[in-house]
Amino acid sequence: MKLSLTSVLQRWTRLGAMLLLTALAGSAWASVQTTQPPLRPITIDLHDQAALRTGALYTLHMCVACHGIQGARYSELPPVLGLSKEDFLKYISTNGRHYHDTITSNMSEALMMKFVDMAPPDLTEIAHRRSPAWLYTYLTSFYADPARPTGANNVVFYNVSMPDVFATMQGLQKPVMVDGLRFGSPAKIAVGVQPLTAGTMSRAQFDQTAKDIVTFLYAVAHPHQQERMRLGPWIIGLFVMLSVLTYLIYRLYWARVITGKQRWWRIR
Amino acid sequence: MTETSRSRTLRVLDWFDRRLPLTALWRTQLSEYPAPKNFNVWYLFGSLALLVLVLQLATGLFLAIHYQPNPQLAYWSVLRTIQRDSHWGWLIRDMHVVGASAFFVLVYLHMYRGIMYGSYKKPRELLWLIGIFIYLALAAEAFLGYLLPWGQMSYWGSAVVTNFVTAIPVIGKPIAQWLRGSFVIGLPTLNRFFIFHVFLMPVLLLALVLVHMIALHQVGSNNPDGVEIHDNVNETGWPRDGIPFHPYYTVKDLFGVSAFFVVFFWFVFYRPDGWGFLLDKLNYTPANILHTPSDIHPLWFFLPFYAMLRGVPDKLYGILAFAGSFALLACLPLLDRNPVRSIRYRSPLYKLNILAMPLSFLWLGYIAHGFATEHNMVYGLHVTEIFYATFLVLPFFNKPRSPRATLTWLILAEAVVWMIDVWMYSIHAHGWGLMLLTDWIPSLYLLLLFGMALLRPAWTRDAASLPERLTAGGIFH
Repeated sequence: MKLSLTSVLQRWTRLGAMLLLTALAGSAWASVQTTQPPLRPITIDLHDQAALRTGALYTLHMCVACHGIQGARYSELPPVLGLSKEDFLKYISTNGRHYHDTITSNMSEALMMKFVDMAPPDLTEIAHRRSPAWLYTYLTSFYADPARPTGANNVVFYNVSMPDVFATMQGLQKPVMVDGLRFGSPAKIAVGVQPLTAGTMSRAQFDQTAKDIVTFLYAVAHPHQQERMRLGPWIIGLFVMLSVLTYLIYRLYWARVITGKQRWWRIR
Repeated sequence: MTETSRSRTLRVLDWFDRRLPLTALWRTQLSEYPAPKNFNVWYLFGSLALLVLVLQLATGLFLAIHYQPNPQLAYWSVLRTIQRDSHWGWLIRDMHVVGASAFFVLVYLHMYRGIMYGSYKKPRELLWLIGIFIYLALAAEAFLGYLLPWGQMSYWGSAVVTNFVTAIPVIGKPIAQWLRGSFVIGLPTLNRFFIFHVFLMPVLLLALVLVHMIALHQVGSNNPDGVEIHDNVNETGWPRDGIPFHPYYTVKDLFGVSAFFVVFFWFVFYRPDGWGFLLDKLNYTPANILHTPSDIHPLWFFLPFYAMLRGVPDKLYGILAFAGSFALLACLPLLDRNPVRSIRYRSPLYKLNILAMPLSFLWLGYIAHGFATEHNMVYGLHVTEIFYATFLVLPFFNKPRSPRATLTWLILAEAVVWMIDVWMYSIHAHGWGLMLLTDWIPSLYLLLLFGMALLRPAWTRDAASLPERLTAGGIFH
C-alpha cells in the first residue's frame, strides 16, 4: 500500500496530538489533591452604602477587637460609606485613635499569642488575597468541633485558629462530612454546615450580615476600584483612538513604499 | 516663520552642531539610516521593550521616593504609603508591576523574532550575545525588585534563589552569606537588593542597551527575508531595498506604541495582579521568617527555568540544567551555522523544531505552575530534554545529511536521553515506573524529527533558491 505524504502527516499529527493531550491531562491530575468544598456565591456592590455601613459597624466594632486593617485609615472611610466626618465619628468608635490613624488591632500581639498562639492576620491583606466568595463562605461556615482547642473548625479553612466568634449571632453549626481526599490521602472532608442551635439572628439575617462585612472588607482592600472603573475606559479609549489615527498615518506615509490594488503590501 | 527667525533657528542649531554632533546623529542614525522595507509586526517588540524600559525607570523613580528599604517598614510603605497615601501611587505602582511582566513578554517575543529570522547569524553574533546579556541583566533586575514589597513570596523566593550559590562545593555557603550580608534574608539583604535594583542594574541595563543599539547600527538590521540589503546598493550607495528609519519606522512604531498601550492599560486598570500571575496572591501576606509557604514559586517569566531546576532533583545539577539553557541561547550562533537566515526559506522539519522550542518552554512553565509532585518533576525533566534538544539538534540542519548520518543522529540522540534516565535512576532521583511511563515525551519528539528526516529527506531541504531582493512587507505581513 502506498502512503501519500498527506496521510502520513495526518496520522503522525493525530498520534502526536493524542499523546500531547494525555500528557497535559496527566500533569494536571497528578498534583496533590484535596477535596474542595463549594464556595457560596456573592456579588459585591460597592454602591450599596447601606451594606457598607452595616459592614463597617460590625467590622470596626467586632473584627478590629483582634484583627488590624492597617492598610486603611479611619479618615478614608467616610467617603466610602457616604457619611460626613461628624456622623462617622458619632456612629463608629475609633477606640481613642486619631481620625487619621491607621486601623490597628485593639489587642496586643503578645496577648493574641497567649490566646490563639498567633497574631491574627491583617484584614487588608486577607481581603486582597482571598476572593469575596471565599470570605463569605468562611464567615458563615464555622462548625462545632470538640477536637479543636477553641471548639470550632471551618469548612474552607481546616483547623483554623480563630474561634467561632459568631456563635451567639448565628448559633452553633454541625458539619456535613463526605469521604474525600486531604493532601492525597482519604479523609472525612467537611463540605457544608447545618444549624445545631439557634442564635440571636435568623439564618438569612446572619448571611446578609456576613455579606455586608465582606462587601465592606472588599471596599477597604480595593480603595481605587471605582476610580479604576471610571478612568479605565477613557484611557483605553484614548489609546484605541490613537491606534486608529497612527495606523492611518502609517498607511499614508507607507503609500509610497507599499502599493498595488489587489495586494497592497507588495513592495514597489 | 519669517526669513530672519528661520535663520536664527539655524544659527542656534549651528552653534550646537559645532559643539555636539546633533544634526549628524539625527541624520546618520535616524533620518538617513537605511532600514529594510519589509519589517513586519515582529519588528515592533524591540522598540516597545525600549519604551517599557523608560516607563519602568520613570515609574520606579516615584516608587523609590516613597519606598522604605527596611523590613519593619517595607511592606506597609508599599501597600499603604505608595498604594493609598500618595497621589496616583496606585497607578504608578500598578504600571511598574504590569510593566515588569510586559518587559518580559516583549523581550521573549523579541528573542523569538531573532531566532525565527536568523538574526544571530554572521555578522550579528555579537549583537545577539549582547542581547543575551541584556536578558540576564533584566532577569537579575526582576529578581532583585521582587524582594522589595517584602511579602511572603518575595521573601521565600529570594531565600530559594540566594541558596542556589550554596550548591557550589566548599565555598558555597560563605558566598551565600556574603551575598545576603546575613545568615538569612534580612535588613542587609533588603538594603543591598534595593540599591542594586534602583541603581546598579538600571545603569548596567541602560549601558547594555546602548551597546546593543550601537552594535545594531554597525551591522544594520536583518529582516523577515534574511536578505542583506547592503549587498544591493544603487549608484549613491543607498540600499535599493532600504528606506530611511525616520519617518517610515517612527510612524510604524508610533502605531505599535498606541496598540501596546491599549493592552498595557487594560491590565493596569482592570487586572493589575493579572489573575495572580503578575503579582502573586501570597505576596499580600507580609514576610514571615517562621512560616515557610507550602508552595514557593517564581513569577510567570521564570517558571520554565523553575521546572528545569525541579526536574533534576540535585541542587548543583539542577542549577546547571537551568543555567545551561541560557548558555544554549548564547551558543545559538555556533549551533546553527546554516547560511539560510530566515525561517521562510528553511526546511519543514527545521520549522517544526523552531515551533517546538517555545512550545516546550511554555509547557515547562505550565508544569512549574503545578505543585512539586514526583509526577510534575519527572515531566519537567523530560520536557527540559525536549527544550534542550530543540537547540542541540540545530547542527543537524546545517547541511543536507545522508540517511546513514540521519540514523546516527537519531540513535545518538535517543541514547543520550536514555542515558540521562539511567543516571537519574542511579542517583535515586526518580523511580523507573514513572520514568518509563513518561519517557516517550523526548523519545517521541526525537523519533518524529529524525524519523521524518529519514522517511522524507525532502522535508530537511531548505528552499532551492533564495530571493535576491525583499519580497513583501507591511505591518501585518
